[in-house]
Amino acid sequence: MRASNLSKHYGTTPVVGSVDIELPRGRVISLIGPNGAGKSTVMGMLSRLIWPDGGEVTLEGRPLRSWNSTELSKRIAILTQQNNLDMKLTVRELVSFGRFPYSRTRLTREDHAIVERAIDYMELGPLAERFIDELSGGERQRAHIAMAIAQDTDYILLDEPTNNLDIYHATALMRTVRRLADELGRTVVVVLHEINYAAFYSDYVYALKDGAVAAKGTVEEVMRRDVLSKIYGVDFEIIRVKDRPLSLYY
Amino acid sequence: MRSISERAAGTPRAPLAPSAARARRRRRVIAALTVLAAASLVAYLAVDIDFANERLLAFALRIRLPKAAAMLVAGTAIGASSIVFQSITGNTIVTPALLGMNSLYTLLHTVVFFFAGSSSILAVDGALTFAVDLAVMGTVSLLIYGRLFSRVGNSILYVLLIGTVLSSLFGSVQSTLVRVMDPNEYDALLATIVPGFSNLSWGIVLASAALLALTALALRRELALLDVITLGRDRAVNLGVDYDRVVRRLLLGVALATAAATALVGPLTFLGLVAANLARQLLKTYRHDQLVAASGLLAVAIIAAGQLVIEQVYTYAIPLSVFVNVFGGCYFLYLLLSSRKA
Repeated sequence: MRASNLSKHYGTTPVVGSVDIELPRGRVISLIGPNGAGKSTVMGMLSRLIWPDGGEVTLEGRPLRSWNSTELSKRIAILTQQNNLDMKLTVRELVSFGRFPYSRTRLTREDHAIVERAIDYMELGPLAERFIDELSGGERQRAHIAMAIAQDTDYILLDEPTNNLDIYHATALMRTVRRLADELGRTVVVVLHEINYAAFYSDYVYALKDGAVAAKGTVEEVMRRDVLSKIYGVDFEIIRVKDRPLSLYY
Repeated sequence: MRSISERAAGTPRAPLAPSAARARRRRRVIAALTVLAAASLVAYLAVDIDFANERLLAFALRIRLPKAAAMLVAGTAIGASSIVFQSITGNTIVTPALLGMNSLYTLLHTVVFFFAGSSSILAVDGALTFAVDLAVMGTVSLLIYGRLFSRVGNSILYVLLIGTVLSSLFGSVQSTLVRVMDPNEYDALLATIVPGFSNLSWGIVLASAALLALTALALRRELALLDVITLGRDRAVNLGVDYDRVVRRLLLGVALATAAATALVGPLTFLGLVAANLARQLLKTYRHDQLVAASGLLAVAIIAAGQLVIEQVYTYAIPLSVFVNVFGGCYFLYLLLSSRKA
């Protein structure tokens, strides 16, 4: 999956201009950058929630527009920040929706097994029968990720998944992201605010600023003092933990 | 709503019954509602009838049977379309009355009485009135909700805004006409724009039923997608649903069903709100096959029971709409206040 020359404008305001992104299979790719850099818009265009005004996204060599919608939903799962659900839905029922592209609402025995595995993956067993609107923000987020897992796609796109999570659940989530790539060979794209999660858990990093790619490459290439300082306009120190670069800023 | 009051009272979250028990409870609720709706209809048909006198019986049934059938058709249409409308707008305190069909109906009748007079064939012939109502409301629905929706970027909020603006436009024109109208004509007009079950014939009832059935048939695929649609645009698109198209078609269906129900019994603003929210409260589920069924049954039961009380207790002194709107208005306030608490 790759995106070439993507651009998007709302009215006359350009939000994203000529962004190229390549997503190598089975890797974790992070999108980082300051607020308003266009991270979520790029994510939306990768997942067809937003159609680009210029450029295109191709999956398996074919542009997204030429794909059948159901076939796409078996290959790309997107989890956005849209989190409000004004309906009586249990965790298990939400996760079961992940099987909709395969079996619509009539789930097979295999579908149910996949749903249960996804629930276990996200440590949601004890909450499976609870209503979504009675959960905490973090629990709800985990339920949505379980749904994306149940969707069983090659690509999983997560738009700021750590937003409402405490440190325990955020790191657990990032470890899950890592496992999805390492154990199951999924390609995971994550929009992250926390630079160090990107540094510690991803393979490649795209740093966006003002709607364009300001830096890209492996973690080592992007996690450099001069690069980060320029993007965020803040002083950075880079330290090494477990042979990985981590940033300090203040 | 129970969950809200429980939390407000500070009760800790109790473990809920497993899904099988919940599904059984939902089936029991629907069975109970079916019995309730049927009982209300039967009570309406049977109350105060002398079964010993065959000719009186036949006479009473000839009057009451089409009315009961109209209750069944209109109740189903209002109840079902309200659930669908709430789900595609993602808002549980709206009714399809926002689409402006009710005020269009009122305006239409006022125009007929104003320009053609209460004794014109357009006002006297029930079947003709019905046909004209349906044709005008259907055309307006198609033009506005079929076409306009995609022009405003498929934004449901714009559609609601347009519906609200249209409602007040129709309303202002109507009240202007009423002000300069002959008072005798106004009296006659009032009798037709107050919802009720006079002026009914089997032809009208069956035509409405056929229109509703055709709408439901044409939208069967979209109706089956309602569960996913309720998840919101992002999630629905993620699951491979052509969200914008499905919502556009469903919206048109809601407008047509509302038009059919309104042409049949007149504007019943709050009935849909009451039925849909009671159904949601009783079933506590997202499953739309069950929600739609329960809401339709509730609406039928409310209409039949309400009309029974009006005919037998108040002897037509109060119109059904007053009954429904007073009850519905209070319920609406309760919904607003209790959702504020959450």
